[in-house]
Amino acid sequence: MAFSCKNSSKFNGFSSCIKMVMVGTSAIMMQQRTLAMEASLCVKKSKKKGADSVTRPNSQISAAMAAVTPLLLLLLLSSAPSFSSGSRNAYNINGRVKIPQGLGLGTKGYALPGRMSNVKVLLNGGQNITFLRPDGYFSFHNIPAGTHLIEVSAIGYFFSPVRVDVSARNPGKVQAALTENRKGLSELVLEPLREEQYYEIREPFSIMSLLKSPMGLMVGFMLAVAFLMPKLVENMDPEEMRRAQEEMRSQGVPSLSSLLPGGARN
Amino acid sequence: MAIMSFIFVFFFFSSLQPILSLYEDQVGLMDWHQQYIGKVKQAVFHTHKTGRKRVVASTEQNIIATLDLRSGEIFWRHVLGPNDVVDGIDIALGKYVITLSSGGSILRAWNLPDGQMVWESSLHGPKHSKSLLLTTNLIIEKDNSLIVFSNGRLNAVSCIDGEVLWKKDFEEESLEVQQVIQPPGSDFIYVVGFAASSQFETYKINAKNGELLKHESTAFSDRFSGEVSLVSSETVAALDSTGSILLTISFHNGKISSQQIPVSNLLEDSPGLAVIIHSSVTGIFAIKTDAATIFIRVIGEGKLEVVEKTNHETVVSDALTISEGQQAFALVQHAGSNIHLTVKPAHDWDSNLLKESIKMDQQRGFVHKVFINNYIRTDRSHGFRALIVMEDHSLLLLQQGAIVWSREDGLASIIDVTTSELPVEKAGVSVAKVELNLFEWLKGHVLKLKGTLMLATPEDIAAIQYMRLKSSEKSKMTRDHNGFRKLLIALTRAGKLFALHTGDGRIVWSHLLQSLHKSESCRQPIGLNLHQWQVPHHHALDENPSVLVVGRCGPSSDALGVLSLVDSYTGKEFSSLRLVHSVAQVIPLPYTDSTEQRLHLLIDADKHAHLYPKTPEAIDIFQSEFANVYWYSVDDDNGIIKGYALKTKCSGNVADEFCFDSRELWSIVLPSESEKIITTATRKLNEAVHTQAKLIADQDVMYKYISSNLLFVATVAPKASGEIGSVTPEESWLVVYLIDTVTGRVLHRMTHHGSQGPVQAVLSENWVVYHYFNLRAHRYEMSVIEIYDQSRADNKDVWKLVVGNHNLTSPVSSYSRAEVITKSQSYFFTHSLKAIAVTLTVKGITSKQLLIGTIGDQVLALDKRFLDPRRSVNPTQAEREEGIIPLTDSLPIIPQSYITHSLRVEGLQSIITVAAKLESTTLVFAHGLDLFFTHYAPSRTYDSLTEDFSYALLLITIVALVAAIFVTWILSQRKELQDRWR
Repeated sequence: MAFSCKNSSKFNGFSSCIKMVMVGTSAIMMQQRTLAMEASLCVKKSKKKGADSVTRPNSQISAAMAAVTPLLLLLLLSSAPSFSSGSRNAYNINGRVKIPQGLGLGTKGYALPGRMSNVKVLLNGGQNITFLRPDGYFSFHNIPAGTHLIEVSAIGYFFSPVRVDVSARNPGKVQAALTENRKGLSELVLEPLREEQYYEIREPFSIMSLLKSPMGLMVGFMLAVAFLMPKLVENMDPEEMRRAQEEMRSQGVPSLSSLLPGGARN
Repeated sequence: MAIMSFIFVFFFFSSLQPILSLYEDQVGLMDWHQQYIGKVKQAVFHTHKTGRKRVVASTEQNIIATLDLRSGEIFWRHVLGPNDVVDGIDIALGKYVITLSSGGSILRAWNLPDGQMVWESSLHGPKHSKSLLLTTNLIIEKDNSLIVFSNGRLNAVSCIDGEVLWKKDFEEESLEVQQVIQPPGSDFIYVVGFAASSQFETYKINAKNGELLKHESTAFSDRFSGEVSLVSSETVAALDSTGSILLTISFHNGKISSQQIPVSNLLEDSPGLAVIIHSSVTGIFAIKTDAATIFIRVIGEGKLEVVEKTNHETVVSDALTISEGQQAFALVQHAGSNIHLTVKPAHDWDSNLLKESIKMDQQRGFVHKVFINNYIRTDRSHGFRALIVMEDHSLLLLQQGAIVWSREDGLASIIDVTTSELPVEKAGVSVAKVELNLFEWLKGHVLKLKGTLMLATPEDIAAIQYMRLKSSEKSKMTRDHNGFRKLLIALTRAGKLFALHTGDGRIVWSHLLQSLHKSESCRQPIGLNLHQWQVPHHHALDENPSVLVVGRCGPSSDALGVLSLVDSYTGKEFSSLRLVHSVAQVIPLPYTDSTEQRLHLLIDADKHAHLYPKTPEAIDIFQSEFANVYWYSVDDDNGIIKGYALKTKCSGNVADEFCFDSRELWSIVLPSESEKIITTATRKLNEAVHTQAKLIADQDVMYKYISSNLLFVATVAPKASGEIGSVTPEESWLVVYLIDTVTGRVLHRMTHHGSQGPVQAVLSENWVVYHYFNLRAHRYEMSVIEIYDQSRADNKDVWKLVVGNHNLTSPVSSYSRAEVITKSQSYFFTHSLKAIAVTLTVKGITSKQLLIGTIGDQVLALDKRFLDPRRSVNPTQAEREEGIIPLTDSLPIIPQSYITHSLRVEGLQSIITVAAKLESTTLVFAHGLDLFFTHYAPSRTYDSLTEDFSYALLLITIVALVAAIFVTWILSQRKELQDRWR
């Protein structure tokens, strides 16, 4: 009985898992078969995946007791309602937040040395808040069975909230799915969907970007008119030039009045 | 030359290009951010090692933080969950901060330099109990260990990885463990407590393995009153439940012996009920009575001696071991405007290690807590520094008779915020004095230009940044043209009023309110809200504006109210009133008297209305509008919404002409078995609506239903009012109502099946946006309801307008039966919400954006166009031109539109928007534990030049153009001359 309580209180990643295996094996020797199976199952999960094991600490206490004498089991079952339901329905959710190094923050100002320490994991809209260990693991303790929502708050990254179903019927089972894209997760490893860039990036000064802008085009056109037109005029045949000028004179200078609808009638 | 000038013109325009959001170098230009930690509950110093000296603090706002001991700056800080109350903190191994929280069930270790969590352990136990954390130097299985008592179980936990080394249950039902003691240098632990309140129990436990070595218990005739004070490692002092008999109990080697001495034997006068003050000084304990604090020394076997009796507020620190076997503690006493800090050795009351007198600002109130730390001076004597927590929650470090630094941590718990205008600039004061001379001004602008062209060297950039941030313009104490400079007046939970300058966030004045001060008649004063009492613009310009602070004496709604009037320029409390009635609601009326004092109606718990200010003039003004005053009340617990109007003068036995009886006009009773009110929202009173009509595609017009009496109510199934995931979608629903608060008419009702709260809602113009949780999709959703007035819809017929057969000029009244139509649409939204607000501009012309406080404590701006019920998957060409965005199932989150950019407003509570005088701009103030202020232009600053605008460029361009004109003129003249000569 003592060892199963011990199980419940540590989720410190791999180092403790090894210890847990040892405890688990001693348990097999001490206790009956059913209990040993459950204990080692829990241990294996947290060893192999380390992430998605949902364990039921207090149920193991009762399981241990049940294993000792069937009589006690009966007693327990009959007295179950009198047990505080909070402790009977308490589960732990363990998971991991992984920020790939590929998504390096590069030159951005918020890439602080201990940035993992600024990540928060929130359950059900801030009802429970937990933090990450150096290896990215987190755990929520004493969570009732049901459907929960886990959100990760990390400056610079966009995380999808995760729907987590904690099953009351088969403890140790967890179902997780990203709510943004409805992708199921086989283990509770949360990765950012994308990086978030909070600032506009100043475009470096370049001639092309100037020329491409509407202003640049206008200026370009005006320059072309100012410098190329005289050249064109120069190249024209003087005879033709004179003819054109006379033509223009005969038509008259386009005045404002001719542009107005009324003026056109004159 | 011409080319040059063109290029200049061109640069000039390119600098006008609108910016979508913020560039990184613009941080701090418009915005400021302040970080706080709240009222410190416990502090531990870390000064042993060379390097940076720190203090680790836990606060009442569930924060753990480490501060720089030199400057008071925050090194790191973590905000724990709302239910994760910190029970104890300590430093272990010189590198880990250990915190015990959540009623002793979570033990965490944080890395001291950077705040990274190292390990976390969950501790369970058989029952609830007091939680105690004890760091020891014990080495068990090669690990340094912590001893934690929580939930009726004693645990030894390894410091290295948080593993539980051994545990021992104390399952005895009535046992209340009071202390866990480890006598220095020993390897056993005493667990001391009471069983059945009258039995004293000690357990001696082997610290190596948790084995019970000895258990003793003694029954006493009296019952104990909770707290015990540790006098030595084997003696405790306790009081009986009547508070009149002192017990000293020693349990040396497990043998319990006790002495009982009536308190009255020690004191000449009868002290009344005494309580023990928690302290850990060897040989001395303190009791506090109504009148005095008494320090008592234990001499030998149960002999007591009163060493000092002080009559004023005295605070004692915990004992500090300064050298081998020597302990010291600090005492802080008030004397007028000074505080006296005394450090005494524990064994000798009469000698002082340190005695300092420090002048203290009266506005900080009394000292609430003191923590001391020592250092070795160069002459090998002991120096002491003291960290004190004041009544206004501020934190100060005292050293060598002076205040080294202070932190205004009261600002971490703001209750309400209002704004006030600054004084108008006086004619005599010249602006030019502040400005630089022309050359420097131009030089600055040339630098800026270089910056925009990305030609600046790093030194230049630094100079530009310095220049921008130091701009004297933004922190002046006068009103500006654009209305950016204002005072933010904030009421904090400690009952202190702060005025912050919007330019740089500095505290202009602060005032500890007399009315919210603890006193005989008002034991638990709490501030409720702030209102603008007097805003002079036309008539009373020589008067200063003032704010009204409303509070009450106690948490229940029928506690008596208190009012204060505070001058918003100076912070002087010029009037303070204790009311004879309670305050349930405060209604600022839209009427002012001749000195521009706003009339306020205070509704008490018995639904009487009291008019303020109590002047005959006010009553005259009020009489004429008597019939037009309506209000409503929402009773969340019973699900009743009621509307009221005024009836007659109060009929009570006291003739009070400022008191009015109310009559109930209508009530809406929601079925309590199926609906529970969780949120209500109304329009802001000062919101301006520019146009009543909305032009839609194909030249059609829709009339907005704009009523300031609109109330949004959201209810959920009572089962679903708990946390997310506690109900199935089938048994939860969310019902929203739009109610007219004058007539009680339900304008719209809508049910969202399979949804639940929490609901955050904002109501503005003719629309409401609310956020809730959809259990079926298991995602958050945001919905919009827009409400339109159908009765005016037929006015678009031109012929009717010509003939005059239209109702556009008919008065808008709540009593006219409006035919309304509503449009609604829902979208998914990724994050949980903490707060929601809408931008507010002075005339309401600028398009609106929603300001969303996300669960990550950031503020996101979201264009209202994304929440337009007319969005469709394939909008027509006409609709596209109108600006309708094609429908998507979820709302986009654009990282650039976080107005808090890469900052967090930790513990975000609310977002306040204030209109600037410039139509395009809203001032946004977000507060929680942190404060954040910025200017925000929802449609960009279309009506003014941006900060980036380079006047130098403009000037150079003009000069260049003029020069070019001259040059070309001369050239053309010369050419003409040559032509003539030819």
